Amino acid sequence: MPVDLRETRLPGVGVKYAFPTAQGGRLSVIMHNDGQRDIYYYRRASDEDPTSVVELHDDEARQLGAILGGAYERPRIVEELEMALGELQIEWVPVPDSSPAIGLTLAECKLRALTGVTVIAILREPEPVSGAQPGDRIQQGDTLVAVGKAGQFSKFRRLLAEGPFEASGERSAE
Amino acid sequence: MSLADLAITIAVLGGLGLVARRLGLSAIPAYLLAGLLLGPNEPTQLAFISPSEVTEFVAELGLVFLLFFLGLEFTFSRLTRTGRHVGLGGLVDFAVNAGLGLIVGLAAFGPSSEALVLAACLYVSSSAIAIKGLSDFRRLGDDETDLVLAILVFEDIVVALMLGYAAAGGGEVSDTLILVAKALGFITAGLAASRWLTKPLDRLLDRLPLEFFLLAVFGFLVGTAAIAEELGLSEAIGALMAGIVLSETSVREQIEERFFSFRDIFAALFFFVFGLSIDVSAVGDVGWLVAIAALLTIAGKVGGGLVAGRVGGFTQRQSFNAGVALIAHGEFTIILAQLASENEELDFVVRDELVAFAGLYTLVTATVGIVLMKESKRLGRILFPVPRLNQEA
Repeated sequence: MPVDLRETRLPGVGVKYAFPTAQGGRLSVIMHNDGQRDIYYYRRASDEDPTSVVELHDDEARQLGAILGGAYERPRIVEELEMALGELQIEWVPVPDSSPAIGLTLAECKLRALTGVTVIAILREPEPVSGAQPGDRIQQGDTLVAVGKAGQFSKFRRLLAEGPFEASGERSAE
Repeated sequence: MSLADLAITIAVLGGLGLVARRLGLSAIPAYLLAGLLLGPNEPTQLAFISPSEVTEFVAELGLVFLLFFLGLEFTFSRLTRTGRHVGLGGLVDFAVNAGLGLIVGLAAFGPSSEALVLAACLYVSSSAIAIKGLSDFRRLGDDETDLVLAILVFEDIVVALMLGYAAAGGGEVSDTLILVAKALGFITAGLAASRWLTKPLDRLLDRLPLEFFLLAVFGFLVGTAAIAEELGLSEAIGALMAGIVLSETSVREQIEERFFSFRDIFAALFFFVFGLSIDVSAVGDVGWLVAIAALLTIAGKVGGGLVAGRVGGFTQRQSFNAGVALIAHGEFTIILAQLASENEELDFVVRDELVAFAGLYTLVTATVGIVLMKESKRLGRILFPVPRLNQEA
Protein backbone atom coordinates (compact mmCIF):
# COMPACT_ATOMS: atom_id res chain seq x y z
CA MET A 1 0.00 0.00 0.00
CA PRO A 2 1.51 3.33 -0.98
CA VAL A 3 -0.69 5.21 1.52
CA ASP A 4 1.17 6.21 4.69
CA LEU A 5 -1.51 5.18 7.16
CA ARG A 6 -0.97 5.88 10.85
CA GLU A 7 -3.03 4.13 13.50
CA THR A 8 -3.34 5.65 16.97
CA ARG A 9 -5.34 4.45 19.96
CA LEU A 10 -7.47 7.13 21.57
CA PRO A 11 -8.18 5.73 25.03
CA GLY A 12 -11.78 6.37 26.01
CA VAL A 13 -12.71 7.33 22.46
CA GLY A 14 -11.65 4.69 19.96
CA VAL A 15 -9.04 4.46 17.22
CA LYS A 16 -7.74 7.10 14.83
CA TYR A 17 -6.45 6.43 11.34
CA ALA A 18 -4.68 9.28 9.59
CA PHE A 19 -2.91 9.70 6.29
CA PRO A 20 -1.73 12.55 4.06
CA THR A 21 -3.53 12.86 0.74
CA ALA A 22 -1.81 13.27 -2.61
CA GLN A 23 -3.28 16.79 -2.90
CA GLY A 24 -1.27 17.94 0.11
CA GLY A 25 -4.12 17.62 2.59
CA ARG A 26 -4.64 15.29 5.48
CA LEU A 27 -7.43 12.88 6.39
CA SER A 28 -8.22 11.51 9.84
CA VAL A 29 -10.84 8.88 10.47
CA ILE A 30 -11.99 8.37 14.05
CA MET A 31 -13.63 5.05 14.85
CA HIS A 32 -15.56 5.66 18.06
CA ASN A 33 -16.03 2.78 20.48
CA ASP A 34 -19.78 3.24 20.12
CA GLY A 35 -19.64 2.69 16.36
CA GLN A 36 -19.77 6.30 15.20
CA ARG A 37 -17.15 7.30 12.61
CA ASP A 38 -15.87 10.83 12.06
CA ILE A 39 -13.95 11.92 9.01
CA TYR A 40 -11.76 14.98 9.55
CA TYR A 41 -10.40 16.62 6.42
CA TYR A 42 -7.63 19.23 6.54
CA ARG A 43 -7.14 21.00 3.21
CA ARG A 44 -3.44 21.57 3.93
CA ALA A 45 -1.56 19.14 6.11
CA SER A 46 -0.45 21.96 8.41
CA ASP A 47 -3.95 23.39 8.95
CA GLU A 48 -4.97 23.72 12.57
CA ASP A 49 -8.69 23.58 11.99
CA PRO A 50 -10.30 20.90 9.87
CA THR A 51 -11.82 22.15 6.62
CA SER A 52 -14.73 19.83 7.17
CA VAL A 53 -15.90 17.11 9.52
CA VAL A 54 -18.30 14.35 8.58
CA GLU A 55 -20.02 12.35 11.31
CA LEU A 56 -21.45 9.02 10.27
CA HIS A 57 -23.48 6.35 12.00
CA ASP A 58 -22.31 2.77 11.74
CA ASP A 59 -24.62 1.85 8.85
CA GLU A 60 -23.85 5.05 6.93
CA ALA A 61 -20.12 4.49 7.35
CA ARG A 62 -20.39 0.93 6.03
CA GLN A 63 -22.39 2.15 3.06
CA LEU A 64 -19.81 4.83 2.30
CA GLY A 65 -17.01 2.32 2.71
CA ALA A 66 -18.61 -0.05 0.25
CA ILE A 67 -19.04 2.70 -2.32
CA LEU A 68 -15.48 3.99 -1.93
CA GLY A 69 -14.11 0.47 -1.97
CA GLY A 70 -15.68 -0.19 -5.35
CA ALA A 71 -18.29 -2.75 -4.29
CA TYR A 72 -20.93 -1.06 -6.46
CA GLU A 73 -19.00 0.24 -9.41
CA ARG A 74 -15.55 -1.11 -10.11
CA PRO A 75 -13.25 1.80 -10.77
CA ARG A 76 -11.00 1.32 -13.79
CA ILE A 77 -7.95 1.01 -11.59
CA VAL A 78 -9.36 -2.14 -9.98
CA GLU A 79 -9.94 -3.66 -13.42
CA GLU A 80 -6.33 -2.95 -14.28
CA LEU A 81 -5.22 -4.60 -11.08
CA GLU A 82 -7.16 -7.69 -12.06
CA MET A 83 -5.45 -7.67 -15.45
CA ALA A 84 -2.12 -7.58 -13.70
CA LEU A 85 -2.96 -10.70 -11.77
CA GLY A 86 -3.77 -12.36 -15.07
CA GLU A 87 -5.56 -15.63 -14.65
CA LEU A 88 -5.13 -15.57 -10.91
CA GLN A 89 -7.71 -14.20 -8.52
CA ILE A 90 -7.61 -13.26 -4.88
CA GLU A 91 -10.79 -14.07 -3.00
CA TRP A 92 -11.96 -13.56 0.56
CA VAL A 93 -13.66 -16.79 1.62
CA PRO A 94 -15.47 -16.82 4.99
CA VAL A 95 -15.29 -20.17 6.77
CA PRO A 96 -18.87 -21.39 7.37
CA ASP A 97 -19.62 -21.96 11.05
CA SER A 98 -20.50 -25.58 10.33
CA SER A 99 -17.33 -26.26 8.36
CA PRO A 100 -15.62 -29.54 9.22
CA ALA A 101 -12.31 -27.76 8.60
CA ILE A 102 -12.60 -25.83 11.86
CA GLY A 103 -9.95 -27.09 14.23
CA LEU A 104 -7.80 -28.57 11.47
CA THR A 105 -4.54 -27.12 10.23
CA LEU A 106 -4.20 -25.93 6.65
CA ALA A 107 -1.88 -28.88 5.99
CA GLU A 108 -4.44 -31.36 7.30
CA CYS A 109 -7.12 -29.88 5.06
CA LYS A 110 -4.94 -30.35 1.95
CA LEU A 111 -6.81 -27.43 0.36
CA ARG A 112 -4.10 -26.74 -2.19
CA ALA A 113 -3.60 -30.36 -3.17
CA LEU A 114 -7.33 -30.93 -3.61
CA THR A 115 -8.37 -27.66 -5.27
CA GLY A 116 -5.24 -25.82 -6.44
CA VAL A 117 -6.13 -22.78 -4.33
CA THR A 118 -3.51 -21.44 -1.92
CA VAL A 119 -4.43 -19.78 1.38
CA ILE A 120 -2.12 -16.80 1.82
CA ALA A 121 -3.62 -15.15 4.90
CA ILE A 122 -6.28 -15.66 7.54
CA LEU A 123 -8.41 -12.76 8.75
CA ARG A 124 -9.53 -13.16 12.32
CA GLU A 125 -10.08 -11.13 15.50
CA PRO A 126 -8.07 -9.70 17.08
CA GLU A 127 -4.93 -10.36 15.05
CA PRO A 128 -4.98 -11.50 11.42
CA VAL A 129 -2.46 -14.11 10.26
CA SER A 130 -0.64 -12.41 7.41
CA GLY A 131 1.56 -15.20 6.07
CA ALA A 132 -0.48 -18.35 6.53
CA GLN A 133 1.66 -21.42 7.32
CA PRO A 134 0.69 -25.09 6.86
CA GLY A 135 0.57 -25.45 10.63
CA ASP A 136 -2.01 -22.67 11.15
CA ARG A 137 -5.32 -23.92 12.46
CA ILE A 138 -8.64 -22.80 10.99
CA GLN A 139 -10.93 -21.32 13.62
CA GLN A 140 -14.58 -20.47 13.74
CA GLY A 141 -15.23 -17.02 12.28
CA ASP A 142 -12.11 -16.99 10.13
CA THR A 143 -12.01 -15.53 6.65
CA LEU A 144 -9.42 -17.12 4.37
CA VAL A 145 -7.62 -14.97 1.83
CA ALA A 146 -6.90 -17.32 -1.04
CA VAL A 147 -5.19 -17.15 -4.44
CA GLY A 148 -6.20 -19.37 -7.30
CA LYS A 149 -7.57 -19.55 -10.81
CA ALA A 150 -11.11 -18.43 -11.43
CA GLY A 151 -12.54 -21.89 -11.91
CA GLN A 152 -11.00 -23.37 -8.79
CA PHE A 153 -12.87 -21.34 -6.22
CA SER A 154 -16.23 -23.07 -6.40
CA LYS A 155 -14.54 -26.36 -5.59
CA PHE A 156 -12.59 -24.63 -2.83
CA ARG A 157 -15.72 -23.18 -1.25
CA ARG A 158 -17.54 -26.51 -1.45
CA LEU A 159 -14.66 -28.39 0.12
CA LEU A 160 -14.39 -25.83 2.89
CA ALA A 161 -18.10 -26.02 3.63
CA GLU A 162 -18.66 -29.77 3.40
CA GLY A 163 -15.33 -31.59 3.47
CA PRO A 164 -14.57 -34.39 3.42
CA PHE A 165 -11.26 -34.08 5.16
CA GLU A 166 -9.27 -37.08 6.17
CA ALA A 167 -10.03 -37.34 9.83
CA SER A 168 -6.80 -36.67 11.63
CA GLY A 169 -6.73 -38.60 14.88
CA GLU A 170 -6.37 -35.73 17.31
CA ARG A 171 -8.96 -32.95 17.15
CA SER A 172 -7.88 -29.93 19.01
CA ALA A 173 -10.02 -28.72 21.86
CA GLU A 174 -9.53 -25.12 20.84
CA MET B 1 -36.05 10.90 49.81
CA SER B 2 -39.44 10.02 48.38
CA LEU B 3 -40.36 9.18 44.80
CA ALA B 4 -41.68 12.72 44.38
CA ASP B 5 -38.36 14.13 45.58
CA LEU B 6 -36.55 11.86 43.17
CA ALA B 7 -38.79 12.96 40.29
CA ILE B 8 -38.11 16.63 41.01
CA THR B 9 -34.40 15.92 41.40
CA ILE B 10 -34.22 14.15 38.06
CA ALA B 11 -36.20 16.95 36.41
CA VAL B 12 -33.79 19.57 37.78
CA LEU B 13 -30.77 17.48 36.75
CA GLY B 14 -32.18 17.05 33.27
CA GLY B 15 -33.05 20.75 32.97
CA LEU B 16 -29.69 22.03 34.14
CA GLY B 17 -27.89 19.37 32.12
CA LEU B 18 -29.68 20.56 28.98
CA VAL B 19 -28.85 24.20 29.69
CA ALA B 20 -25.19 23.26 30.22
CA ARG B 21 -25.24 21.40 26.93
CA ARG B 22 -26.70 24.40 25.12
CA LEU B 23 -23.89 26.51 26.53
CA GLY B 24 -21.37 23.91 25.43
CA LEU B 25 -20.44 23.06 29.03
CA SER B 26 -20.05 19.67 30.62
CA ALA B 27 -22.93 18.17 32.57
CA ILE B 28 -20.81 17.49 35.67
CA PRO B 29 -20.75 21.10 36.97
CA ALA B 30 -24.47 21.33 36.18
CA TYR B 31 -25.22 18.32 38.41
CA LEU B 32 -23.04 19.74 41.19
CA LEU B 33 -24.87 23.03 40.89
CA ALA B 34 -28.24 21.26 41.11
CA GLY B 35 -27.15 19.59 44.34
CA LEU B 36 -25.83 22.85 45.68
CA LEU B 37 -29.13 24.65 44.98
CA LEU B 38 -31.49 21.94 46.25
CA GLY B 39 -29.32 20.95 49.20
CA PRO B 40 -29.81 21.99 52.83
CA ASN B 41 -26.82 24.36 52.93
CA GLU B 42 -26.65 27.93 51.70
CA PRO B 43 -28.37 29.03 49.50
CA THR B 44 -31.46 27.73 51.32
CA GLN B 45 -34.29 29.19 49.19
CA LEU B 46 -34.72 25.95 47.24
CA ALA B 47 -33.51 23.57 49.93
CA PHE B 48 -35.82 20.60 50.08
CA ILE B 49 -33.57 17.58 49.78
CA SER B 50 -31.23 16.68 52.57
CA PRO B 51 -28.63 13.95 52.57
CA SER B 52 -30.09 10.73 53.91
CA GLU B 53 -29.31 7.04 53.78
CA VAL B 54 -31.12 6.83 50.47
CA THR B 55 -29.13 9.60 48.80
CA GLU B 56 -25.91 8.16 50.19
CA PHE B 57 -26.74 4.73 48.84
CA VAL B 58 -27.62 6.08 45.41
CA ALA B 59 -24.37 8.06 45.38
CA GLU B 60 -22.41 4.97 46.38
CA LEU B 61 -23.87 3.10 43.41
CA GLY B 62 -22.86 6.00 41.17
CA LEU B 63 -19.31 5.86 42.50
CA VAL B 64 -19.20 2.10 41.98
CA PHE B 65 -20.38 2.41 38.38
CA LEU B 66 -17.95 5.22 37.57
CA LEU B 67 -14.97 3.18 38.76
CA PHE B 68 -16.27 -0.02 37.21
CA PHE B 69 -16.21 1.68 33.82
CA LEU B 70 -12.76 3.06 34.47
CA GLY B 71 -11.62 -0.48 35.22
CA LEU B 72 -13.20 -1.80 32.03
CA GLU B 73 -11.04 0.64 30.05
CA PHE B 74 -7.90 -0.61 31.78
CA THR B 75 -7.10 -3.45 29.41
CA PHE B 76 -3.40 -4.19 29.48
CA SER B 77 -3.18 -4.40 25.73
CA ARG B 78 -4.93 -1.04 25.47
CA LEU B 79 -2.58 0.55 27.96
CA THR B 80 0.52 -0.77 26.24
CA ARG B 81 -0.74 0.26 22.82
CA THR B 82 -1.62 3.85 23.67
CA GLY B 83 1.78 4.89 22.47
CA ARG B 84 4.86 6.82 23.32
CA HIS B 85 3.27 9.86 24.94
CA VAL B 86 1.92 8.07 28.00
CA GLY B 87 5.24 7.83 29.82
CA LEU B 88 6.92 11.09 28.93
CA GLY B 89 3.91 13.40 28.69
CA GLY B 90 2.37 11.78 31.74
CA LEU B 91 5.49 12.26 33.83
CA VAL B 92 5.89 15.93 32.91
CA ASP B 93 2.23 16.58 33.74
CA PHE B 94 2.62 14.66 37.01
CA ALA B 95 5.76 16.47 38.07
CA VAL B 96 4.34 19.92 37.39
CA ASN B 97 0.76 19.54 38.60
CA ALA B 98 1.11 17.10 41.47
CA GLY B 99 3.98 19.31 42.62
CA LEU B 100 1.87 22.48 42.47
CA GLY B 101 -0.99 20.61 44.15
CA LEU B 102 1.28 19.54 46.98
CA ILE B 103 2.45 23.12 47.51
CA VAL B 104 -1.16 24.30 47.75
CA GLY B 105 -2.01 21.39 50.05
CA LEU B 106 0.92 22.11 52.35
CA ALA B 107 0.09 25.79 52.44
CA ALA B 108 -3.54 25.06 53.32
CA PHE B 109 -3.31 22.12 55.74
CA GLY B 110 0.37 21.82 56.65
CA PRO B 111 2.28 18.56 56.19
CA SER B 112 -0.57 16.05 56.50
CA SER B 113 -2.59 13.39 54.70
CA GLU B 114 -5.15 16.04 53.85
CA ALA B 115 -2.48 17.89 51.90
CA LEU B 116 -1.75 14.74 49.88
CA VAL B 117 -5.42 14.25 49.05
CA LEU B 118 -5.70 17.88 48.01
CA ALA B 119 -2.62 17.48 45.80
CA ALA B 120 -4.27 14.53 44.07
CA CYS B 121 -7.50 16.54 43.62
CA LEU B 122 -5.54 19.31 41.88
CA TYR B 123 -3.45 16.94 39.81
CA VAL B 124 -6.09 14.88 38.07
CA SER B 125 -7.92 16.44 35.12
CA SER B 126 -11.34 15.35 34.00
CA SER B 127 -11.27 12.68 31.29
CA ALA B 128 -15.01 13.04 30.75
CA ILE B 129 -14.90 16.79 30.19
CA ALA B 130 -11.72 16.73 28.09
CA ILE B 131 -13.07 14.03 25.79
CA LYS B 132 -16.42 15.76 25.44
CA GLY B 133 -14.66 19.03 24.61
CA LEU B 134 -12.32 17.41 22.09
CA SER B 135 -15.31 15.84 20.39
CA ASP B 136 -17.57 18.92 20.52
CA PHE B 137 -14.88 21.31 19.29
CA ARG B 138 -13.81 18.99 16.48
CA ARG B 139 -10.36 18.27 17.84
CA LEU B 140 -10.35 14.48 17.64
CA GLY B 141 -8.55 14.58 14.31
CA ASP B 142 -5.78 16.85 15.61
CA ASP B 143 -2.36 15.40 16.34
CA GLU B 144 -2.11 16.81 19.85
CA THR B 145 -5.26 14.92 20.84
CA ASP B 146 -3.06 11.82 21.15
CA LEU B 147 -1.00 13.63 23.78
CA VAL B 148 -4.06 14.79 25.75
CA LEU B 149 -5.55 11.32 25.92
CA ALA B 150 -2.21 9.72 26.78
CA ILE B 151 -1.75 12.11 29.72
CA LEU B 152 -5.28 11.34 30.88
CA VAL B 153 -4.45 7.61 30.91
CA PHE B 154 -1.38 8.27 33.04
CA GLU B 155 -3.45 10.36 35.45
CA ASP B 156 -6.09 7.64 35.73
CA ILE B 157 -3.44 5.12 36.77
CA VAL B 158 -2.00 7.43 39.43
CA VAL B 159 -5.45 8.22 40.79
CA ALA B 160 -6.40 4.55 40.89
CA LEU B 161 -3.43 4.11 43.24
CA MET B 162 -4.55 7.11 45.33
CA LEU B 163 -8.16 5.96 45.85
CA GLY B 164 -7.39 3.63 48.71
CA TYR B 165 -5.29 6.24 50.45
CA ALA B 166 -7.98 8.91 50.16
CA ALA B 167 -10.58 6.50 51.53
CA ALA B 168 -8.73 5.09 54.52
CA GLY B 169 -5.17 6.39 54.74
CA GLY B 170 -3.82 8.96 57.12
CA GLY B 171 -3.94 7.22 60.50
CA GLU B 172 -0.94 5.73 62.29
CA VAL B 173 1.93 4.91 59.99
CA SER B 174 1.61 1.20 60.81
CA ASP B 175 -2.15 1.27 59.99
CA THR B 176 -1.45 2.95 56.70
CA LEU B 177 1.21 0.36 55.89
CA ILE B 178 -1.24 -2.47 56.64
CA LEU B 179 -3.75 -0.71 54.42
CA VAL B 180 -1.23 -0.46 51.60
CA ALA B 181 -0.36 -4.15 52.02
CA LYS B 182 -4.05 -5.10 51.91
CA ALA B 183 -4.62 -2.97 48.84
CA LEU B 184 -1.61 -4.52 47.10
CA GLY B 185 -2.85 -8.01 47.97
CA PHE B 186 -6.31 -7.23 46.70
CA ILE B 187 -5.01 -5.71 43.48
CA THR B 188 -2.64 -8.64 42.91
CA ALA B 189 -5.54 -11.05 43.39
CA GLY B 190 -7.63 -9.03 40.98
CA LEU B 191 -4.91 -8.92 38.33
CA ALA B 192 -4.29 -12.65 38.74
CA ALA B 193 -8.03 -13.20 38.32
CA SER B 194 -8.07 -11.11 35.15
CA ARG B 195 -5.17 -13.20 33.86
CA TRP B 196 -6.42 -16.69 34.77
CA LEU B 197 -10.18 -16.38 35.15
CA THR B 198 -10.88 -14.67 31.85
CA LYS B 199 -11.66 -17.84 29.92
CA PRO B 200 -13.98 -19.51 32.44
CA LEU B 201 -15.73 -16.17 33.03
CA ASP B 202 -16.08 -15.76 29.32
CA ARG B 203 -17.67 -19.14 28.87
CA LEU B 204 -19.99 -18.60 31.81
CA LEU B 205 -21.17 -15.12 30.83
CA ASP B 206 -21.49 -16.08 27.19
CA ARG B 207 -24.02 -18.78 28.00
CA LEU B 208 -26.25 -16.83 30.32
CA PRO B 209 -29.56 -15.48 29.04
CA LEU B 210 -29.66 -11.69 28.99
CA GLU B 211 -31.53 -11.24 32.25
CA PHE B 212 -29.09 -13.37 34.18
CA PHE B 213 -26.15 -11.88 32.35
CA LEU B 214 -27.11 -8.48 33.74
CA LEU B 215 -27.65 -9.91 37.20
CA ALA B 216 -24.40 -11.86 37.17
CA VAL B 217 -22.31 -8.86 36.14
CA PHE B 218 -24.07 -6.54 38.57
CA GLY B 219 -23.74 -9.10 41.36
CA PHE B 220 -20.06 -9.55 40.65
CA LEU B 221 -19.53 -5.79 40.66
CA VAL B 222 -21.39 -5.14 43.91
CA GLY B 223 -19.87 -8.25 45.49
CA THR B 224 -16.31 -7.21 44.72
CA ALA B 225 -17.03 -3.69 45.99
CA ALA B 226 -18.50 -5.13 49.20
CA ILE B 227 -15.49 -7.39 49.77
CA ALA B 228 -13.12 -4.47 49.32
CA GLU B 229 -15.18 -2.43 51.78
CA GLU B 230 -15.16 -5.31 54.29
CA LEU B 231 -11.37 -5.42 54.02
CA GLY B 232 -11.25 -1.79 55.08
CA LEU B 233 -10.31 -0.74 51.57
CA SER B 234 -12.70 1.40 49.65
CA GLU B 235 -15.67 0.17 47.63
CA ALA B 236 -14.13 2.30 44.89
CA ILE B 237 -11.11 -0.03 44.66
CA GLY B 238 -13.40 -3.06 44.59
CA ALA B 239 -15.43 -1.63 41.73
CA LEU B 240 -12.28 -0.72 39.85
CA MET B 241 -10.95 -4.26 40.25
CA ALA B 242 -14.27 -5.74 39.08
CA GLY B 243 -13.89 -3.69 35.93
CA ILE B 244 -10.28 -4.75 35.41
CA VAL B 245 -11.14 -8.44 35.88
CA LEU B 246 -13.85 -8.20 33.22
CA SER B 247 -11.85 -5.94 30.90
CA GLU B 248 -10.12 -8.83 29.12
CA THR B 249 -13.25 -10.91 28.55
CA SER B 250 -14.95 -11.02 25.19
CA VAL B 251 -18.18 -9.74 26.73
CA ARG B 252 -16.61 -6.42 27.74
CA GLU B 253 -18.28 -4.47 24.96
CA GLN B 254 -21.60 -6.04 25.77
CA ILE B 255 -21.20 -5.09 29.41
CA GLU B 256 -20.34 -1.50 28.47
CA GLU B 257 -23.32 -1.32 26.17
CA ARG B 258 -25.76 -2.75 28.73
CA PHE B 259 -24.52 -0.72 31.68
CA PHE B 260 -23.88 2.67 30.03
CA SER B 261 -27.33 3.93 30.96
CA PHE B 262 -27.03 2.72 34.56
CA ARG B 263 -23.73 4.48 34.89
CA ASP B 264 -25.04 7.73 33.43
CA ILE B 265 -28.06 7.86 35.73
CA PHE B 266 -26.23 6.90 38.91
CA ALA B 267 -23.19 9.03 38.12
CA ALA B 268 -25.50 12.03 37.68
CA LEU B 269 -27.03 11.27 41.07
CA PHE B 270 -23.55 10.82 42.56
CA PHE B 271 -22.52 14.32 41.50
CA PHE B 272 -25.87 15.66 42.63
CA VAL B 273 -25.58 14.11 46.08
CA PHE B 274 -22.04 15.42 46.39
CA GLY B 275 -23.43 18.84 45.53
CA LEU B 276 -25.89 18.51 48.41
CA SER B 277 -23.04 18.63 50.89
CA ILE B 278 -21.33 21.69 49.40
CA ASP B 279 -21.81 24.65 51.67
CA VAL B 280 -21.52 27.94 49.80
CA SER B 281 -21.14 29.83 53.06
CA ALA B 282 -17.77 28.07 53.30
CA VAL B 283 -16.60 30.34 50.48
CA GLY B 284 -15.30 32.60 53.20
CA ASP B 285 -13.01 29.78 54.40
CA VAL B 286 -11.99 28.15 51.15
CA GLY B 287 -12.69 30.92 48.65
CA TRP B 288 -9.11 32.16 48.52
CA LEU B 289 -7.89 28.58 48.31
CA VAL B 290 -10.18 27.85 45.36
CA ALA B 291 -9.08 31.01 43.57
CA ILE B 292 -5.37 30.34 44.03
CA ALA B 293 -5.73 26.66 43.18
CA ALA B 294 -7.69 27.46 40.02
CA LEU B 295 -5.08 29.98 38.85
CA LEU B 296 -2.23 27.58 39.61
CA THR B 297 -4.09 24.82 37.78
CA ILE B 298 -4.45 26.94 34.66
CA ALA B 299 -0.76 27.88 34.81
CA GLY B 300 0.36 24.35 35.67
CA LYS B 301 -1.70 22.51 33.09
CA VAL B 302 -0.84 24.95 30.30
CA GLY B 303 2.82 25.06 31.32
CA GLY B 304 3.01 21.30 31.71
CA GLY B 305 1.25 20.83 28.39
CA LEU B 306 3.71 23.17 26.66
CA VAL B 307 6.72 21.27 28.02
CA ALA B 308 5.22 17.83 27.42
CA GLY B 309 4.17 18.84 23.92
CA ARG B 310 7.56 20.27 22.95
CA VAL B 311 9.29 17.18 24.32
CA GLY B 312 6.89 15.02 22.33
CA GLY B 313 7.64 16.89 19.09
CA PHE B 314 4.53 19.05 18.81
CA THR B 315 4.43 22.72 17.79
CA GLN B 316 3.94 25.42 20.43
CA ARG B 317 0.33 25.98 19.41
CA GLN B 318 -0.44 22.28 19.49
CA SER B 319 1.19 21.94 22.91
CA PHE B 320 -0.80 24.93 24.13
CA ASN B 321 -4.04 23.32 22.95
CA ALA B 322 -3.12 20.10 24.74
CA GLY B 323 -2.42 21.90 28.01
CA VAL B 324 -5.64 23.90 27.87
CA ALA B 325 -7.67 20.72 27.29
CA LEU B 326 -6.45 19.46 30.67
CA ILE B 327 -7.58 22.46 32.75
CA ALA B 328 -11.07 21.17 33.47
CA HIS B 329 -11.28 19.04 36.61
CA GLY B 330 -14.28 16.87 37.31
CA GLU B 331 -15.20 13.35 38.25
CA PHE B 332 -11.94 12.26 39.89
CA THR B 333 -11.54 15.40 41.97
CA ILE B 334 -15.06 14.81 43.28
CA ILE B 335 -14.51 11.08 43.81
CA LEU B 336 -11.32 11.67 45.81
CA ALA B 337 -12.99 14.34 47.95
CA GLN B 338 -16.02 12.11 48.51
CA LEU B 339 -13.85 9.19 49.64
CA ALA B 340 -11.81 11.49 51.87
CA SER B 341 -14.97 12.94 53.42
CA GLU B 342 -15.85 9.48 54.76
CA ASN B 343 -12.34 8.76 55.98
CA GLU B 344 -12.41 8.72 59.78
CA GLU B 345 -8.65 9.19 59.96
CA LEU B 346 -8.80 12.70 58.55
CA ASP B 347 -9.51 15.83 60.53
CA PHE B 348 -13.28 16.46 60.71
CA VAL B 349 -13.12 20.19 59.97
CA VAL B 350 -10.66 19.66 57.14
CA ARG B 351 -12.93 17.05 55.59
CA ASP B 352 -15.77 19.56 55.35
CA GLU B 353 -13.41 22.10 53.83
CA LEU B 354 -12.18 19.52 51.34
CA VAL B 355 -15.73 18.84 50.16
CA ALA B 356 -16.55 22.51 49.77
CA PHE B 357 -13.21 23.12 48.10
CA ALA B 358 -13.49 20.22 45.64
CA GLY B 359 -17.05 21.19 44.68
CA LEU B 360 -16.31 24.86 44.06
CA TYR B 361 -12.94 24.15 42.46
CA THR B 362 -14.56 21.71 40.03
CA LEU B 363 -17.31 24.20 39.20
CA VAL B 364 -14.71 26.88 38.43
CA THR B 365 -12.16 24.82 36.48
CA ALA B 366 -14.78 22.86 34.54
CA THR B 367 -16.37 26.11 33.34
CA VAL B 368 -13.17 28.09 32.73
CA GLY B 369 -11.49 25.04 31.20
CA ILE B 370 -14.19 24.50 28.61
CA VAL B 371 -14.35 28.19 27.68
CA LEU B 372 -10.56 28.40 27.29
CA MET B 373 -10.53 25.17 25.32
CA LYS B 374 -13.07 26.54 22.88
CA GLU B 375 -10.85 29.59 22.31
CA SER B 376 -7.46 27.91 22.61
CA LYS B 377 -6.71 27.86 18.89
CA ARG B 378 -7.43 31.59 18.60
CA LEU B 379 -5.41 32.29 21.75
CA GLY B 380 -2.61 30.13 20.41
CA ARG B 381 -2.42 32.18 17.21
CA ILE B 382 -2.12 35.36 19.28
CA LEU B 383 0.40 33.95 21.78
CA PHE B 384 2.57 32.13 19.25
CA PRO B 385 2.33 34.27 16.11
CA VAL B 386 5.00 32.55 14.02
CA PRO B 387 4.20 28.88 13.97
CA ARG B 388 6.80 26.31 13.18
CA LEU B 389 5.40 24.22 10.37
CA ASN B 390 3.75 21.08 11.54
CA GLN B 391 6.28 18.36 10.86
CA GLU B 392 4.06 15.39 11.40
CA ALA B 393 4.75 12.44 9.17
